[in-house]
Order: sequence, then structure tokens, then C-alpha cells
Amino acid sequence: MNDLINDLYQEIILDHGREPRNFGECEPHNKSADGHNPLCGDNLKLTFLLNDQNIIEDIKFTGEGCAISLASASLMTEKLKGKKIEVAEEIFKDFTNLVSGSDEDLKVLNEEDSLYALKGVGGFPMRVKCATMAWHAFKQALKD
Amino acid sequence: MDDTKTLNLNVRKDFPILSKKILKKKDLIYFDTAASAQKPNTVIDETNDFYKNHYSNVSRGVHTLSVESTFRYEDARKKVQKFLNARSENEIIFTKSATEGINLVAQTFYEKFMQKGDEVILSLIEHHSNLIPWFFLRDKYGVVLKFANIQPSGEIDIDHFNSLFTNKTKIVSLTHLSNVFGTELNEKAISICKDKNIPILLDGCQSAAHLKIDVQKLGCDFFVFSGHKTYGPAGIGVLYGTENLLSEMPPYQGGGGMIGDVSLEGASYAELPAKYEAGTPPLVEAHGLGIAIDYMNKIGLDNIIEHENEITKYAFNKLNEIDFIEIHGGDNKRNSIISFNVKNVHSHEVSSFLDVEGIAIRAGHHCCQPLMKHLGVNSTARLSFGVYNSLEEVDKFVIALHKCKEFFNK
Repeated sequence: MNDLINDLYQEIILDHGREPRNFGECEPHNKSADGHNPLCGDNLKLTFLLNDQNIIEDIKFTGEGCAISLASASLMTEKLKGKKIEVAEEIFKDFTNLVSGSDEDLKVLNEEDSLYALKGVGGFPMRVKCATMAWHAFKQALKD
Repeated sequence: MDDTKTLNLNVRKDFPILSKKILKKKDLIYFDTAASAQKPNTVIDETNDFYKNHYSNVSRGVHTLSVESTFRYEDARKKVQKFLNARSENEIIFTKSATEGINLVAQTFYEKFMQKGDEVILSLIEHHSNLIPWFFLRDKYGVVLKFANIQPSGEIDIDHFNSLFTNKTKIVSLTHLSNVFGTELNEKAISICKDKNIPILLDGCQSAAHLKIDVQKLGCDFFVFSGHKTYGPAGIGVLYGTENLLSEMPPYQGGGGMIGDVSLEGASYAELPAKYEAGTPPLVEAHGLGIAIDYMNKIGLDNIIEHENEITKYAFNKLNEIDFIEIHGGDNKRNSIISFNVKNVHSHEVSSFLDVEGIAIRAGHHCCQPLMKHLGVNSTARLSFGVYNSLEEVDKFVIALHKCKEFFNK
């Protein structure tokens, strides 16, 4: 099998694509945003509860999409749950760099992180939007 | 390979990009002609030659290069006229795209013939480019849009279509060949419009290089297509309109080239077709389109159609045999396009997997989101064929599909 395909679809990606974690809607929640990829029609709804210490207490998503977008959303919720907002924003920056093909100068993510499995997306530039859809929804929710 | 008759057009060598190796080792199998066709050498060489040896602006100067450019631009118009069998060159308007052609008709037809509350009939299978220009009329001017349903076969439901007409119906706009299903528009839809004396626009983006087009025989009032889907350059489109309607409708954009006489108090407008071609047109691209038409004529459109029908039927039968494939639309005849899904695998995964095998297919909503909602899917994979494809390529594709299914269900 081709290395590019094996890099893109690591076991953890296929697993989270098939059975996304934290799938559903957070109740209660005080932040939400919709993610949408106008090129393909994939979409998701992200909800989370930010407490008064600025910690993401709970975070969930629903939606439909390809393995990459679902796995990315699933791994994102696992990573961000319990994090302070400032840390979450650093993770966002690192992640967008990682999937754009540059893993130098990462501040908080390292090879031990499950999110690192999405590095293979860098070999498929047209799929970067799939991997970042949930993350942009997260950023959007913070703005609203 | 099955023991079927094969009409090998042997034209792959005419398309330099087809010798490209994907990821440095895989032969390119290009199954995405419905998105954009590849270009033959003649189109590439002739457009180069235009810039190198003949280029100037058109219809403005009197010097040698201006004459050479103008000749090529107008010669392209003649070729398009013959290609569509339009009555006159005045009925051929060059635009930048088919999309611009539809916007042009929507805006100027409204201005001349419509008012608030008037109705336009479209259908569920339209490409966004045949929806949004009409949405603009609904949003800006209170025009009412009605949408014909489709049958499970992917064809427009003619009875429902017929029931949508009222005394407020002013224009109908439908796709001539569905970019999702590959099904041709039922001729009855056009004859219904004729009987009711309602103008009809046909979106010919997918039909222009895959069906023989005769606008007089079809009886449509407008027909649009794009150069890049017919083996020509991107940036050039064609709007055919009957001289009657084009003469009555107002100009679309104002600018150089579309005027009769201008003073500070006002202007008169040029005759057809210049009236609708404000600004310097995509002249080299128009020439390239003319060369692409020459190319298709040289092979023979009948041969191209026969070749593509054979491949389409072959691929349909192959896909139909596979239990993990769901084909969209019924068993009816398709022209060069097949949409499908691999069960339990998103079309993106299918496309990325095939990509590393050297196979280019389209995945997504195909600019038909209302139709995707109707089908209950958020995207499909789409095969589309052109003059350069072969049955062997379909066989390779089918093998790759099995590998794909195995990979994602491991």
C-alpha cells in the first residue's frame, strides 16, 4: 500500500472516523459554532462549556463528514477538554501548522500527541480544510 | 477485459498532460472531464502562437496585429455558430464563462420582460450556477422561483414540471445534461415551453462536448456552455440567444466595445453581438475554443459520442456488479457521467485513495447542494469521461476501488 495513504489514514484516524468520541451536544453549553466546508458540503456543530476559570469543562460535536474531518473533530475534543483557553489557542496554532506540513516550532504539541496522527494531511493539500474544519469552528465560537 | 467492441480513438498522445506521472510513478487516469477537460496540443500551441505572433486588441485598431487578432476572434465566433447550428453569428455572445452567460440572461431578461411576482421555473438538479443568478432576482426584485421535482431515475418529473406553469411564468432554465447523473433533459420539457410560448434557457456545460448540439432543432431560446469543458481554455464561455430576444434585452455591462455613439449626455449601443461584449474580451481564449471545436470536428463528434457511450455503459455495468457500490440515478442511459458512493466510505476518502493510484475523480457536492439533500447524501464520487479515456482505464479503476474498499473496511 502506498505510504502516503498509510500516513494519511493511520489506524487512530480510521478508528476516530468510524467512532467519533464526544459526539453529541454539550448540555449545558455557553459556546457554540457551526463548521462548514463549502467545497464538499461537510458540516459540524461544536458546543462547549467554558467555566469561570476559562477552562473548557466539556466539549462535544455533531455533524457529518469524511474520516479526516470527523477524526480531527474527535481528537480535538479529547485534547481540549479540561484545557485553559490560552493553552487551547496555542494548540490551535500548532495544529494548523502541523497539518499544513510544518512541524517545526511547535510550542505545545509533540510526537506523543494523538493529534500528530493528522500530520499526513500535509501530503494532501486539498484535504487540509477537512482537518481544520472543527478547529475553525472552535475559534469562531470563541469570537462569538 | 470483456470481449466488447472497442472504438479506440487513439488520441491520448494529443494531450501532453496525460503523460504526466502522478506521484512520479503512476500513469494518469483522468476521470474528471465534467469538472474540466484536458487540452489537446493544438489548443495549447495555437494559443501560444496567438500571443507570440498575432496578439493585439480586437475590433479597435486598424494596424496589422489588430486585424490578425480580430480575424481570429471573429473566426472563433463562426466556428461556435456552426458548432451549435445557430442561425447567425449575431446569436453567439462570448462571455468569460457559462456562469456569466446565465447571469447575463437572468439580469437583462428580468429588466426587459419581468416584474415583481413573476415566476421562473428551475429544477432540483440544477448546478449552483443555474440557481444563484435566479436567487438574485428573487432576493432583489421579488421574483418567484419554482423547482421541478426529479424522479428516482434522475430525470425531471415532467408532469410536475408541467404543473408549475401559471400566467406569471416568464422563463424556464434547465440543465441540458445533469452534471451529477449524466442524464439528458427530456425533450418534452422543451416542447412544453414551446407550446406555452415561454422562453427556455439550456445549461449546456455538460452536453456541449458530449452530445450533438443543434439549437434550432432543440428549440431552446438560450444555450450556454464553457470553453474549458469542451477541450478549450478556461476564461471563455458562450451564450447563444435568439436574435429576437437578444435584440430586445438591454446590455448587461457597460464599457468599451459595446457602444454605438457616446456623448456626455448618453450613449447608443452597438448591434449584436458586440452589444453584450463590453470591455476587451478573452480573445485568445476564444481562439483556443475555436481550435478545440476544430479538434472535436476532426475526430468527429459522432465518434466521440459513440466512444464515450461505450465507456460509460461499460463502467456502469462494472460498477453495477459491485455490491458495495451505490450508483445514483436509475438504469437509464447516461452520457459520460456516473455518480456513485462506496458504501460506508466518504467520497473524499475514495478520491484521495484513488489519487495515489493515479486516478483523478471528483468528490463532493458537485455544486448541487439542493440535489445532494434530496438524495440524502452529503457528497458523491463522480466518474466523468472524455475523448481520451479507455475501457482499460475503467478496469484499472475498478481494481483500485476494490483495494479502496478493503483498505477502509480492514
